[in-house]
Amino acid sequence: MAATKTRSSSFSRNISAASTPQIPGLKCGPNGTIFVSSGIPDLDKILGGGFPLGSLVMVMEDIEAPHHMLLLRNFMSQGLVHNQPLLYASPSREPRAFLGTLPSPVLSKDDKSRDHDLEQEKGLRIAWQYRKYLGENQQNFEGQRDGKPDYCNDFDLRKPLERHFLSNQRIDCFSLEGSPNLDPFRERCSTFLAQLPRYDGNLTSACRIAIQSFYAPQCEYSNTEWEMLSFVRSLKSMVQSSNAVAVLTFPPSLVSSSFSKRLQHLADTLLSVKAIPDEDKELANLLTGYNDMVGLLNVHKVAHFNTQVPVILEATTFSIKLKKRRSLVLECLNQAPIDGSSGTSYATTGSCSGSSKTGTLDF
Amino acid sequence: MEVWVRRMGVGKNGDSGLLPDDDFGLILGDGESGLLLAGGESRFTGFLPWQCIVYIWSLEGTAMENGGSWNLLDQAIGPLIEDPYASRSGGSVVLIEDCVETSGAFVLHHLIKRSISPLPPHSSPVLLILVSFARSFSHYDRILRKMGCNVVVQRDNKRFIFLDMRKLECPEAMSDGDGGDTFEGGLVDLYGKIQKAVEVSIVNGGSRSVVIMIDDISLLEVAAKGSSNHVLDFLHYCHTLKTDFGCSLAFLNHEDIYSSTERSNLILQMEYLADVVIKAEPLATGLAKDVHGQLTVMNKRNFDRWKKMSYFHFRVRENNVEYFYPGSRT
Amino acid sequence: MAELICRALRDGALDGEHAPALTIKDSIDSPFGPHVFNHVLAQLSANILAAKSQSQGLVLVASSQSPSFYFDLLKSRGNDVASFHKWLRVLDCYTDPLGWKVRLMACGSISSRSPEASNTVRLCTDVRNLDNLSLSIMELGRELVGQGKGRFSVAIDSASEMIRHASISSVAALLSNLRSHDQVSCAFWLLHSDLHDVRVTAALEYMSSMLGSIEPMNRPANVQRGNSENLSLFEQNSNKGKFHVRLKRRNGRVRLMNEEFCIEQSSIKFTAVSSEDGIISQGLVPKVQFNLQLSEKERIERAKVVLPFEHQGTGKPIEIYDGRQSLNESSTESTNSSSAEKVQTNQDPGKGEIIYFRDSDDEMPDSDEDPDDDLDI
Repeated sequence: MAATKTRSSSFSRNISAASTPQIPGLKCGPNGTIFVSSGIPDLDKILGGGFPLGSLVMVMEDIEAPHHMLLLRNFMSQGLVHNQPLLYASPSREPRAFLGTLPSPVLSKDDKSRDHDLEQEKGLRIAWQYRKYLGENQQNFEGQRDGKPDYCNDFDLRKPLERHFLSNQRIDCFSLEGSPNLDPFRERCSTFLAQLPRYDGNLTSACRIAIQSFYAPQCEYSNTEWEMLSFVRSLKSMVQSSNAVAVLTFPPSLVSSSFSKRLQHLADTLLSVKAIPDEDKELANLLTGYNDMVGLLNVHKVAHFNTQVPVILEATTFSIKLKKRRSLVLECLNQAPIDGSSGTSYATTGSCSGSSKTGTLDF
Repeated sequence: MEVWVRRMGVGKNGDSGLLPDDDFGLILGDGESGLLLAGGESRFTGFLPWQCIVYIWSLEGTAMENGGSWNLLDQAIGPLIEDPYASRSGGSVVLIEDCVETSGAFVLHHLIKRSISPLPPHSSPVLLILVSFARSFSHYDRILRKMGCNVVVQRDNKRFIFLDMRKLECPEAMSDGDGGDTFEGGLVDLYGKIQKAVEVSIVNGGSRSVVIMIDDISLLEVAAKGSSNHVLDFLHYCHTLKTDFGCSLAFLNHEDIYSSTERSNLILQMEYLADVVIKAEPLATGLAKDVHGQLTVMNKRNFDRWKKMSYFHFRVRENNVEYFYPGSRT
Repeated sequence: MAELICRALRDGALDGEHAPALTIKDSIDSPFGPHVFNHVLAQLSANILAAKSQSQGLVLVASSQSPSFYFDLLKSRGNDVASFHKWLRVLDCYTDPLGWKVRLMACGSISSRSPEASNTVRLCTDVRNLDNLSLSIMELGRELVGQGKGRFSVAIDSASEMIRHASISSVAALLSNLRSHDQVSCAFWLLHSDLHDVRVTAALEYMSSMLGSIEPMNRPANVQRGNSENLSLFEQNSNKGKFHVRLKRRNGRVRLMNEEFCIEQSSIKFTAVSSEDGIISQGLVPKVQFNLQLSEKERIERAKVVLPFEHQGTGKPIEIYDGRQSLNESSTESTNSSSAEKVQTNQDPGKGEIIYFRDSDDEMPDSDEDPDDDLDI
């Protein structure tokens, strides 16, 4: 363990040693990447640290449920808490109104929440190669004692973000509805990103772009698929060459399958959310904690920059839960232990056969 | 002409299973039925099974292999740069197909490394032109550095040319009016750049082999505003470089984009164009940490010389990729 | 039969009729169209050189391979390079089909490498203009055979490329012009059928007098690749295939043939297979009605037919095995057998009786009859 740690630190030496640790809201990842937080502590852990700078994150919406909004809100709030510039675009006429619904960070530093976090860490299974970063994570949690803002906050979904975060900020909003094509928005993105060129000696801050329901039928450009793809491609290349993260949500069921696949290929990190059926007795029997779940989150692709090794997670489906009705929690799906007859979970059979195989190998 | 044979097989533990170097043998013959003269194992006299890698050190040609080991993928693809058995057309066209679940980029990295890593003496160096639509130079630099290949140095030595096309937009209506020429301009310029680079290299460096790679055809299609015809025109012109200068071509495209009912003929045309098709797919059984996916390689060249169809699993690591047959790994 | 196609192309056109035309079509499952095309090309050129064919020259429209590829191909089949200019012209639609290189050379971004001057090859820099293309083909042909009565053949190595650049109607017009031209002896082209609509493929098949379609030996049941069962199928298809030929004969009949082929190092080998006529010609058999009327003669003959269950012994006693004694026994012992026995045999074995009860009186009375009454047993 120690050996791997020293090796990893020597690998990303020049960045980690130099500038980043002082900057709130940024964290070094493997292969010289820098993470910003998604605003959901559990999601950061699942993804191995957060969203890497320069990445395009896509969330595939479920048209029946607004879970993608939860992800967007937390992502945006986290950026504002870290004083990072934000560009928000949505198909609504008044996108700025959405800022009023952003959640506020939980400021209590009582041990209860810390305990919970630790517990979460144990409960969650994380890709092994990121396990070593958990330590760093821990340090960041320690850091919060010094009065510095954390890398990642818990957000109280019931409490709106305080006014002072919304004022005196570089917050830019854009309505996708009015314009007949995407050129004005492309323009806006590039001017927004131009304020923070990437790695100009000392990295000062990161910026965030949040685009909600990129494909919405009411937008005029929505029947020109190639123009939309062209926009996403240029957005991706813009983001790649600046220290920003863009989160874009779109409803895949409204577009043609080849178009949806193209978008998915363009994404560096690809997530999808799904509603769960209400009062489904079977599911309730099958899954533990069914009653607390509000939906499911699927991780399809995890950004891997500067490496060819894909990130393979042990679990890709997580349940979205609201802890104490206010903060968002992601948990690995666990099968309920009661009903043995339907107990053909993939994970259990996999581990059984695996252990038996290694057994035969030993002898 | 000397023909070298090295025995390949699958090791007990699933590694590429190369026998130690003293298993080299010198074979004289036409490569199909040769007599093993020195070294090696006697059971490989006579007809060679396909597991044998036959590679040629002709005095003026390029060594097919640089002393490193040939893994299963190399065996399946065969020689990339110069195909000694293809009497007519110099290089070969390799098409890599992947999908959202399993990226095939590592195959491209492998081919990059194989093309530009140092070759044995008395072989002419290779020029690699990488047309990138998906990733930055630093991304490739970092990856290949871990694989033991310094592309910055190669770039300074003018053996690696990186064309960053991430911002390429084919301008609308080149010759307004007749409508047939729209969006074409950007692609013509890009082609011009590539041919220029090839010409400069061939004029300056004598008989150099050139490999041209395009890392994402689907993004080229987006840049051409969805006109697959223009993409095909562009690929056709790249193909003329193969016949005119003996260049090899490698393209990456995403198969699942085209798998829906209105199967565009772009991917089909590319399959017609290709000599080797490599498909990267996830395992049918789902996720696995120690098996990252499966590769199917279809080799259309050289009947009876290379295995036409290969199928194996892979696991991507930072510095290399492990290839192994299904079930040969616990 | 590949041989038959080559002969038909060799024999060429009759005066006042359309020249024979061959469509070779393949698909990605068995992409060996170019091999077959090259085979036909080589055969025809051998015939032309040996002066066995009607045509005295060949114009090749090369758009998927370079002219040098075809020169090498013909060279490898033992043709003399020096004689090429006497009988071969290549319209080069491969090197610069859209004039990009001309444009780039004009603005100096690439060096102008003039392709080695030869009177055999003519460069075409705008394949979208089919009128010019057609004109070029004719001019090249006339260069070979002069203005007189001589004829030449036309080979198009990728009709698919042509259709990609132009509309199907203009391509069809070009082909039909070729076929109806006085100086064209025959024409053939290659088509990748799965790149086009069914409509397009059908149009080209309609334009041609012969159709050679290349099909895989086995078509996988499901398209899912990767599983080992399909893998072996693909492996099998990777150098072999079936070759179906439909030949529209001048007398109005259609000839169907089946062959298998195997790709070898540099050539293609055809082997005849026993034609499974039943399967293939089914499509050609028209739907016919049954003739229910009988002629007088047929009626008489029908009357003569002896049905199998009718008693055929004329006058002889009927001996039927009743399961108790063999026929032999009964014949030898019949003399001294007891009268009682005889009585019994007379009574018993001949007429078995089935006693039954009616289930109900609903039944029709005629069901009391022995259903086997009419049998002579």
